[in-house]
Amino acid sequence: MKKTYIYSLLLTTAFTTFTFTACSDDFVEVDPRYEISSGNYFNSEDDYYNALLGTYDILQSTYVNVILGEIASDNTHAGGESATDVIGWQQVDRMEHTPINDNLDDIWDWNFAGVQRASFIIENQDKTDFEGKEQLLAETRFLRAYFNFELVKWFGAIPMKPEGQFVLGDEAIVPRSPVSEVYAYIESDLEYAVERLAVDAPETGRVSKGAAQALLGKVYLYQDKFDEAAPMLNLVISSGKYHLYGTRQGEDYKDLFEYEAENSGESVFEIQYTGVQGAGFECLQCSEGNVMVGFSGIRNYSGPVFESGYGFNLPTEEAYNSFESGDLRRDVTVLDIEAWVSETGASYGIGNTDPVTGHTGYYNRKYLPRINDNEGDANLTQPNNYRAIRYADVLLMAAEALVRGGIDEVLARDYLNQVRERAGLGEVSASGNVLLEAIYRDRRSELMGEGHRFFDLVRTGRAQGTITGFTAPKNNIFPVPLEEIQFSQNTWEQNPDY
Amino acid sequence: MSKALLLFFLLTASFSLGAQTFSVSGNVTDAENNMPLPQVNIVVKGTTKGVVTDFDGNYIIESVSTGDVLVFSYIGFSTREVVLGTQQTVNISLEPNYENLNEIVVVGYGSQVKKEVTGAVSSIGAKTIEDLKPLNAAQALQGTTSGINVTPQGGAPGAEANIRIRGIATNRNNAPLIILDGFQYEGGLNSINPEDIENITVLKDAQAAIYGTIAANGVVLVTTKSGRKNQKPKIQYDAYTGIQETTRKLPVLNATEYAVLLNESYANAGQALPFPDISNLGKGTNWQDEVFRQAPVTNHNLSITGGEEKIHYSLGASHLDQEGIIGGDKADFRRSTARISLNADISEKLSVSTKLFYSRVKRHNINSFSLGSVLFNAANIAPVIDPSTANLDNTISLGNEVVNPLTQIDNTFNEYVTNRLSGTIQATLKYIRNMELQARFGFNTSNSRNREFAPIYNYGAGKIYTRTDNMVTLNKINDNDYTFDLFNTYSNVLADHHKVTFMLGMTAYKQYGEGLGGTRTGVQANSWKFADFNTATGSGDNQTNNSYAYDLRRLSYFTRLQYAFKNKYLFSAMIRRDASTLFAPEHRVAYFPSASAGWVVSEEDFFNDTGAVNFLKLRASYGVLGNDRIPTFGYLSLLNGEATYVLGNDQSLVNGYALGRLANPGIKWEEAKKFDVGLDLQLFDNKIEIIADYYRNVRENLLISNIPVSGILGTGAPGAEGPIVNAGTVENQGLEFAVNYNQTFDNGFNISAGYNIATLHNKATRVNNGTGYYEGGAFSVGQPMPARMEVGKPLGYFYGYRTDGIFQTQDEVETHPSQKALGAEARPGDIRYVDVNGDGVIDAKDRTDLGNPIPKVTMGLNLSLQYKGFDFSAYSFANLGNDIVRNYERDQPNVNKMNYRLNRWTGPGTGNSVPRVTTEPTTNHVFSDFFVEDGSFARIQSITLGYTIPDSFIKKSGLEKFRIYTKVDNVHTFTRYSGYDPTASSGDPIGSGIDYGFYPVPRTYIIGVNLQF
Repeated sequence: MKKTYIYSLLLTTAFTTFTFTACSDDFVEVDPRYEISSGNYFNSEDDYYNALLGTYDILQSTYVNVILGEIASDNTHAGGESATDVIGWQQVDRMEHTPINDNLDDIWDWNFAGVQRASFIIENQDKTDFEGKEQLLAETRFLRAYFNFELVKWFGAIPMKPEGQFVLGDEAIVPRSPVSEVYAYIESDLEYAVERLAVDAPETGRVSKGAAQALLGKVYLYQDKFDEAAPMLNLVISSGKYHLYGTRQGEDYKDLFEYEAENSGESVFEIQYTGVQGAGFECLQCSEGNVMVGFSGIRNYSGPVFESGYGFNLPTEEAYNSFESGDLRRDVTVLDIEAWVSETGASYGIGNTDPVTGHTGYYNRKYLPRINDNEGDANLTQPNNYRAIRYADVLLMAAEALVRGGIDEVLARDYLNQVRERAGLGEVSASGNVLLEAIYRDRRSELMGEGHRFFDLVRTGRAQGTITGFTAPKNNIFPVPLEEIQFSQNTWEQNPDY
Repeated sequence: MSKALLLFFLLTASFSLGAQTFSVSGNVTDAENNMPLPQVNIVVKGTTKGVVTDFDGNYIIESVSTGDVLVFSYIGFSTREVVLGTQQTVNISLEPNYENLNEIVVVGYGSQVKKEVTGAVSSIGAKTIEDLKPLNAAQALQGTTSGINVTPQGGAPGAEANIRIRGIATNRNNAPLIILDGFQYEGGLNSINPEDIENITVLKDAQAAIYGTIAANGVVLVTTKSGRKNQKPKIQYDAYTGIQETTRKLPVLNATEYAVLLNESYANAGQALPFPDISNLGKGTNWQDEVFRQAPVTNHNLSITGGEEKIHYSLGASHLDQEGIIGGDKADFRRSTARISLNADISEKLSVSTKLFYSRVKRHNINSFSLGSVLFNAANIAPVIDPSTANLDNTISLGNEVVNPLTQIDNTFNEYVTNRLSGTIQATLKYIRNMELQARFGFNTSNSRNREFAPIYNYGAGKIYTRTDNMVTLNKINDNDYTFDLFNTYSNVLADHHKVTFMLGMTAYKQYGEGLGGTRTGVQANSWKFADFNTATGSGDNQTNNSYAYDLRRLSYFTRLQYAFKNKYLFSAMIRRDASTLFAPEHRVAYFPSASAGWVVSEEDFFNDTGAVNFLKLRASYGVLGNDRIPTFGYLSLLNGEATYVLGNDQSLVNGYALGRLANPGIKWEEAKKFDVGLDLQLFDNKIEIIADYYRNVRENLLISNIPVSGILGTGAPGAEGPIVNAGTVENQGLEFAVNYNQTFDNGFNISAGYNIATLHNKATRVNNGTGYYEGGAFSVGQPMPARMEVGKPLGYFYGYRTDGIFQTQDEVETHPSQKALGAEARPGDIRYVDVNGDGVIDAKDRTDLGNPIPKVTMGLNLSLQYKGFDFSAYSFANLGNDIVRNYERDQPNVNKMNYRLNRWTGPGTGNSVPRVTTEPTTNHVFSDFFVEDGSFARIQSITLGYTIPDSFIKKSGLEKFRIYTKVDNVHTFTRYSGYDPTASSGDPIGSGIDYGFYPVPRTYIIGVNLQF
């Protein structure tokens, strides 16, 4: 009896001791396995470089800025399978978009994601020193400016936090800064970049000094700061680093948007895509391919040169006819499908037949999918690089700044005529407003299909009357997504008239 | 201690030697089947003298005298008393007792007699599983238990089932905790052989708080069969074979009807007719007939049980082989299981037991329940296309997703194999009187290997499945976990009336594992036969590889006090403390208390024993439970986002690092506050049992993962997502009522019937992310998400446009607010949408509540009859008041249509429900109540008829039992829903009830045998 009692007591004690001491809460303290956490990062050059790659990555999602910018303009119809296919794009095409628009939300979300990834590096810029850090930081600043510039173009005033990342709760505290402050912020990032970037990018696809100068010149131009825009753009032109493709031996202008002319001497800044990795609809922004290209493709196309796609972003008859006769750019820019079919025997399908948003018989040839062996979903992984800033664009922006700033019409005509000559057109000798109109017209012809038209019309005050359904000042910018207003708990006000 | 007792017995015995005594022997049998009953307790009333029967049911009791009363008792049987005369042989049979009040109910870390249970518990026994013979044990809970809804994830072989206990409380994982023989089981009920199960008990209320932070969704306790002491070895073999077929084919148009409608739609848009001559089209291809086929299912099950005095055992093995009604062996399921259960008494104080389970599951899958799935294509492909047309280039254009479903099946190659070993080893030490220490170690280890092959194939230009290179994908996954329990139980009856059970214990749980996978292109001969990395010669960035590892832990302490006074007043209280890896150090620890009480009114003196009421208990419970089923390490900022760009002259991919999910250091567990009041009632000699409950569960601090937050936080980046935030509250409340009737008549006719009904009222009361809602699900292509969690609405309610008939005239169009913002100007024949907010235009702001996928009422009705050798059972259930979204019609002009389109509007006054057909742009395809249907249904789940051959015929063959039966599963479904199957659900709380062409649960005709040796 006694023995049992003692034995039991011992056991009870052992049990209690074991339970409440031996196995303490330390048991559950586990670090995630094989994962890097942010507190333990930015310790080496590699860490900064790898985070910079994450920022570059977001550039690929700006495909949507391009295609929707084009649809918003008078250049193209939304297209697609039906009048309700990607309804947000259809609404923008009709200029009937509201704050409830998932596709405008994408532009907000994705470009802010770029800002945020750049800010992640910037807020940790002092953590570790190494040789070449300034170059990496300068690229980071350029990219942040690039995304912020997109945001200010689309939405006007935006919240900003130059010192670092937005944190959960900031959306209810940080107000939308006025457009002028946003531009000052963009300019300061770009000035930092211009000063520190290498003349030649360290690798193909990264930012060069010329790219930063061109973007800064463009940012000045958007603010009508012609006196600053012209010299900045002139720096790019006089650098001797760039030329119009097709003006050198072995080049043919017709190939400018083919694979062989990617990262050519005309590219001041080019967004890189590839088809080697698969992608799916659940995360379009994750694709390494140019989603715009597959979406612009000819529906159910079967034939030479091109691959099939979803039939969005269809140039209008008016756009096709807007080219001067003999302009080589027309057939590089727009594919007349019926002519192509009778020439090659290709077949294709028609989707959306709505007169306002549907089939036109024309496709955006610059960014049509070419036959290649990209991975599935092949509609989402087309490898066509986007020529974000072309030398021709720089010449035309410089010409515009020179004329509108009353600085130098001779130089402006020279720049314009360089572009026209490449297009197989004669020289313009006009001056004053006629010259400016000529620059505007060539700007449309030169850059059609590349996403610039809507913003060019807005910044020059020509959108109303040109774009059907456009009302100024309401449509100068797009509405802030309704959810964003709600997330901010009304810290942010909706843009006027939306 | 025991020596003292023995001495006492001996003394008593010697004193009684003086009286005239003799010994009595005999045999005890089960009155129902005349089988001997071992382990029956026999005591001489008023004394402590007693014996038990051996495994042949024999007993001998010494030193009794005339006039003594022998009391025979055995759990599950009515106790009988026999007054001794002078006879020396007493053979008696015991009647099975259906009152069940002495049944033992497992309640987690212990068990309770049913009449003392103070929580809301549902359970089913081996009999129900035997009757239903489900392929997946979870199905046995549907309709047989109140407040538990089981929906299959599809009719594909091996599809798991979603179990929802008392509604849907969280927007993420609503699956209950499964405890298999005491340890946490993450393998899914599908990997358990249903015939190994002795009992499934579901803890529905706060009583589950003993499982703390993992119990908020309810707890399903599965107890498997084990042997019994002193039992003759019993060998059982069961087998069945059957044929499965689809319960429904969609009423699509035949080729001529299709062409007529298509011509009309082209003509309406002023376009050339696609079929100028329809005279030779005939019926064309019936794609429904092409994809569905009859498919076999067979099952074998063998078990051996037995026991000696100190040791008992149970062994089992089974094999299930099921083919799919779509795809045949391209979509099959094979499950082999083996198990062993062994209990041994090492000494009077120490006993050990062990159970081991092995299962191997091998399956093949076809693409189902999504846009572009086989059934989706079978519903949409044009009937004018011949089944042999693999490349659709030269046929009518059907959009990029729709391909030939037969070719799609042919090109599907995959194999998924999971080997799992699970088990538990347990030691129980009764180290001192009234004290019991139990240590238990349970484990699961599973190894999965998946192989998929996508061949080079051209389905036609632009088709999303067209591939120009092939790809093999391999994955090897190892998952493990263990549960270590240590708990001590004190139980005693103090001062005759105070029954006390006190338990104190701890559990350590660890889940760990790793996965390795990759892809290669350039597989030799474009063939499944060579689908391995070894024979793949591709190069480039599609040669990928990836791996991961995880280690999650939880440490818990708990204690429970159960107290009963005179069996009348019952009380139970418990508290559990959990610490979990899932939360930041400052939020790591949580406490979960609960209490319950019961009053057995029928034990009161004032209660009239002789009335109709045999037993009445009132009970109530309240407690707080937790849920931590969320993605791991949500409190940390990890660099696991995607950071891939293209650099260099060779345009190659470069990978960096970027932040993944937005961190939220403040996350903590969800809290479920559960309240329940109920009553248990037995009437008319316990023939009728009634259980009724009212419950109200409030789930607070709902963990919403990937919660939408402002885009400025960067959550739109590749690989990034919204944080996990405790941001919601959901309420579920309802009534449950179950009545069971069981009676055996004198002629041996036995009837048992059960009916249960449960109501459910579900709504979100808080969504705290600024917008007040959270979206999910998908409808058609490129349309906004159709389902929402929103304050004041049921979880996952459907959100879209309300319709108001069809515009009959241009006049009507013009007097109605413009619908242009939806994509096109309306024309006569188009759907008229309601201007819900009355602002004079129809736009996104007019979207409103179109119904919800949660049934308001669920019920079950079950009947079983036995007479002589015949047995019959029928099980049925019904869901009422839920809605389903019809989402298997591709919004494309040339795809095939359902036959309701024949009733389209063709001119003023020709119809007010189905819009005109046209290839013109219309807004008739935006998500509206036109696509929402009543999903209510009643289903006859199973009907069985069996016959047991009388003993006299089989005795000589050595058989003890020989039963043959025939059974039909999924006999018929009564519903107005027009899709394949009204049980269609993805199981996602937000986005469930959206039907992309649900793989229907097959109807199965089975014949089977049960043999016992």
